[in-house]
This record gives sequence, C-alpha cells and structure tokens, in this order.
Amino acid sequence: MSLIHIQNLNKHFKVLNRREGIGGAFRDLFSGSYRTVKAVDDISFDIEAGEIVGYIGPNGAGKSTTIKMMTGILKPSGGVLQVNGLMPYNNRIKQAQIMGVVFGQRTQLWWDLPVIESFKILREIYKVDQKTFDEHMGMFNELVGLKALYSQQVRTLSLGQRMLCDIAASFLHNPQVVFLDEPTIGLDISVKAKIRSLIKTLNAQRNTTIILTTHDLGDVEALCHRIIIIDKGKILYDGDIKRVTALFGAYRTLKLQIDDYNDATIIALQDKLTDRFGTDNGSTIAQTEEFWTDVTFDQARTPLSDVLAVVMSNFKVSDVRVVEISMENVVQQVYDGALR
Amino acid sequence: MKSYLAILRGSYMIGLVYRYGFLFNIAGNVLYMSVTYFLWRSIYQGRETLNGLTFDQTYIYVALGSAIFILLKTYVDWQLAFDIREGMIATYLIKPIDLQLYNLFNSFGYALMSLSAITVPTFLLLVFAFKIQIPLGIGLVLFPISLLLAYLLSFCFDYFVGLLCFYTESIWGLSITKDIIVTVLSGALIPLQFFPDAIQKVLMWLPFQAIYYTPLTMIAQPNLSWETFLSMLGVQLFWVVALFGLTRLFYDQAVKVLRISGG
Repeated sequence: MSLIHIQNLNKHFKVLNRREGIGGAFRDLFSGSYRTVKAVDDISFDIEAGEIVGYIGPNGAGKSTTIKMMTGILKPSGGVLQVNGLMPYNNRIKQAQIMGVVFGQRTQLWWDLPVIESFKILREIYKVDQKTFDEHMGMFNELVGLKALYSQQVRTLSLGQRMLCDIAASFLHNPQVVFLDEPTIGLDISVKAKIRSLIKTLNAQRNTTIILTTHDLGDVEALCHRIIIIDKGKILYDGDIKRVTALFGAYRTLKLQIDDYNDATIIALQDKLTDRFGTDNGSTIAQTEEFWTDVTFDQARTPLSDVLAVVMSNFKVSDVRVVEISMENVVQQVYDGALR
Repeated sequence: MKSYLAILRGSYMIGLVYRYGFLFNIAGNVLYMSVTYFLWRSIYQGRETLNGLTFDQTYIYVALGSAIFILLKTYVDWQLAFDIREGMIATYLIKPIDLQLYNLFNSFGYALMSLSAITVPTFLLLVFAFKIQIPLGIGLVLFPISLLLAYLLSFCFDYFVGLLCFYTESIWGLSITKDIIVTVLSGALIPLQFFPDAIQKVLMWLPFQAIYYTPLTMIAQPNLSWETFLSMLGVQLFWVVALFGLTRLFYDQAVKVLRISGG
C-alpha cells in the first residue's frame, strides 16, 4: 500500500463573479452570480514511502490546493485521498503528527520569539522527547549552523535563514512525509543550494517522503526522481524526471529586442525559421513583454548559433538575451505534446 | 495539555517582549479612573446610596470594570480574522493542536501579562491613590474564580466572532457590534442595578452579565450570601460549558468553507 493514495480527487470553489466599479460592488451586495472554479480537477496518483516528488506547474495550477488537501487543511470536494491509510481532513490532528509542512510564503515559527523558543514549543506540540530533540537540533546545527540563530527573533531573520529554520522545524518530529510548498521562493542561488542539500540529506538519512512544489525547475532537477506536472487542475505528466530534464535541457528561450517591431514581425520571423529549419522545427515565438520577442527553440534540432544567424541576418536586433526555459514554457511544451 | 502550556508560555513571553506597550495602557487607565471618579462623585452629590449602591461600591465596580475590560479583551476575533484573511491559519492547522484550545491558551498568555501589568496596578491605585475601602467578605475569595470563568466566556464570544470571518472575511463591523453589545448588556460600563427593572430581568437570562456583572459584584458587594454567590458561579459555569460546546460545533461547520489562495 502506497503512503499517499489519490484517486479522482477534486476541489471546487464557488466564486462570486464580481462586477466592475463601485456601482458593480453595490449590485454584488444584493445579487451575485457564482461560478465554480475547479482548482483540482479529477487527479489521481500514488506516492511511495521515501520518494522525492516534484509537484510543479504555473501559478494557479492547483499545486497548493492539492497540498492543502493532503495536509488536512482543506476538505476535498470529491474523490479518494489517503495518507498512510487515513483521510487527512477527517483525522487532522492525528495526521499532523506524521506530517511536516513548509509554506514558503508563511512561517510556522513564532514571529516575535527567538528561534530556539519556537523549537521548544514545537517539541511540546509534537511530543518529541528530550533525547530525540537534542539529537535533531545537533544535526540541524551540523547541516546549516542553526545554533548561531537560536537567540535571534524570527522576524529579524533574513528570508534564507528563516526558510532554513522552517525546514528544520518541519523535520523536528521525524515525520513520515514532508510537504515543501515553494521552499526556495525569492532566495538567491547560494541559499537555494544550501536548502537543496539540506532537503537531500534529510531525505537520505530518514527515508522521509518529500513532496516539493516549486516554480524553480532547478530545484526539481537537483532533488527529484519523479515529477508530476499540473496545470488548470489537471495532471499533464507524471513520470520520470529524465524525460523532462532532457526537454528542459534542450530548450532555450532567445529574447530579442527587434528594431522597427510591428505586428508582422512575428510572422516574418516564423517564416524565416521555417525556411531554414522546416515546418516541424519545434520553435515557438511570442511577445511576452513590451519590446521583447521570445523565440523558444529546441537546441537538439536547431542549434543556438543557427537560430541566431537566421535572426541576425534578417532583422535589426538591438539587444539579445538567452534564458533557460520557464515553467510556463514547459507547460506549453507539454500541452503541445512534447512528452507524448 | 503540556503542548498548550508551551503555547501559553510562548505568548506570555511575547507579552514580555512588548511590555512597554502596557505602560500606555496603565496611563490611559489612570486617566479613565480619574474621570469616572469625578463623574460619579457628582452623580452621588448629597446622596448616600443610588439604586441600593453606595458611592464606594459603584466606584469599585466601575473602576475595576475598566481594568478587567482590558484583561478580558482577548483580541481572538481580530487574531483569527487576520489569520483567515492572510492564510496564516494554515500554519496552525498543520499542527496536531485543536484550534479553539490553541487560541484560548495563546490569548491566556497575554491575559496573564496584562493581569500583572494592568489589573493589579489598577487595584493598588484604587486602594492607595483613591483611598477606596475594599470591603472584606467571601465575595473577595470567589472573585478570582469568577474572573477566570468570565475570561472563558469573553473568549467564547471573541472566538465565535472570529469564526464568523470564515464566511465574511472581514472583521471590523462584526467586532465593533460585538463589543457594543457585550459592553452595554454585561454591565461593564454601569452596574446592572442602574437599568430599569424589566430590562434587568431580561439581562439576567442572557450570558453577557456573567462576564462583567458577576465578578464585579463579588468584589463590590462581597457580603452577599453564600447561596447568592454560588448560584452566580453556577450560572457562569453553565454559560461557559454551553458556549464552549456551541463554538466547537460552529467551528466544524465554519472551517469547511475555508479557502486559502496565493500559496
């Protein structure tokens, strides 16, 4: 029996269709029309003990909603959801004992107290005995130098320090499964690396199951063996990371600032690329921000130098940037059948 | 139980961190006590008793009423509203703790802080600065018990209003309405004896009077009979049990509509 079992899980929210302006707000007071938003729409998967699973998708895909159902905060609208054989929402307090959760955007520590006091309170809440507590605190200290932060008020920590504390706290009671919801959001590269190695070590030492939602494809590449991609509440891909990294690895986005940009530019650019590489060359062109035209292409089929040559010889370009593929782009590629 | 005591200890420590805020509370309270002192002095001008109460009895009631008011304000309604609106509630729901007890013990830590920082100093001011004779009697002994029950009741009202935020996602109107209802109907501003007889009778059947009127009467008129005091405590206990149960049931309903957006 798998640790987490999800079958045809749904979460629907009823949302008021708000009308515009002050007049609209007044009319909303008396008559409202509601629409149903399917935040999670009929998803199924199983997760085994000890796995690290990357649960990814663009903003508003339904990642956090799924996590909140798995942690027993939200009640599913329908379907089967079991963690360790129990339905989390109906057994919230019991289930909380075997789970650890980190919400990247919120701390679960006591904002106004020194770090060590939060850990002491958590020790009582999770009924961790003194010996285990000392052992774990020693280990956290070895891994990330937690001791240096003990006497600091949580609100005075930097975002990176706070996140390290939050992650350590989520492992304090030796949970079977830890949910990490955007643990690297807003952090710089060096702190990200620290956090990744912390997660990796904790998973290896305790065989803790980890479910990681993130925006950062680097996190997933560094940590996960398996990846689940979700968008608009539906699962687009569930499987080995290798196929996906092959895809991420090969794709790059070329950002171009083209002089005399007009409506015909994109079409013209598309035509030039088709002339050079054929119709099925795997590239897409879009204008994502003002003045910048994005060409996303598959390096395996169309090398960067060749794409650049086509662009440069046909257009007057004032600025160029090459960036790794974004989450939105991955999802788009998956939609277009890249993983089929 | 130990885990909730740890929460209480934590919030007491937070109270200590921000202890300077309490100085302003004491200053404000002294001002309020002075104003009400002269107000009631002039009301009692040339009269021995009003509605069966002497000046000292009324003034003890009103002055301690304001000190207790700060003590009994749990702010759980504001706290819960904030937690729900900002999604912080998720960080409590992931822990193996009961939300009602968490909030109770968390607010009780602050209450202990304001008890030592406001209520006790006010009491001392009353005796030494305003030279009020606190009458001795069994009521004085029962007062702490009654005050604790009053706190639990006040918590239930605040918690209930906080839970309403699961539906309204806003707190201003709700909290202010609750404050006005509780303050007026509980006898926090003026002793219930000053209300018309018919209204007094109705108010005695409502839970509000058990928050302020009961403990304040015990200290302002501590020489009433044992039977009177015991039945007053019995009524308080009844409301505590009833409202704790009702708010628990209400929580089970309210938490279902929870939605947390944005991470």
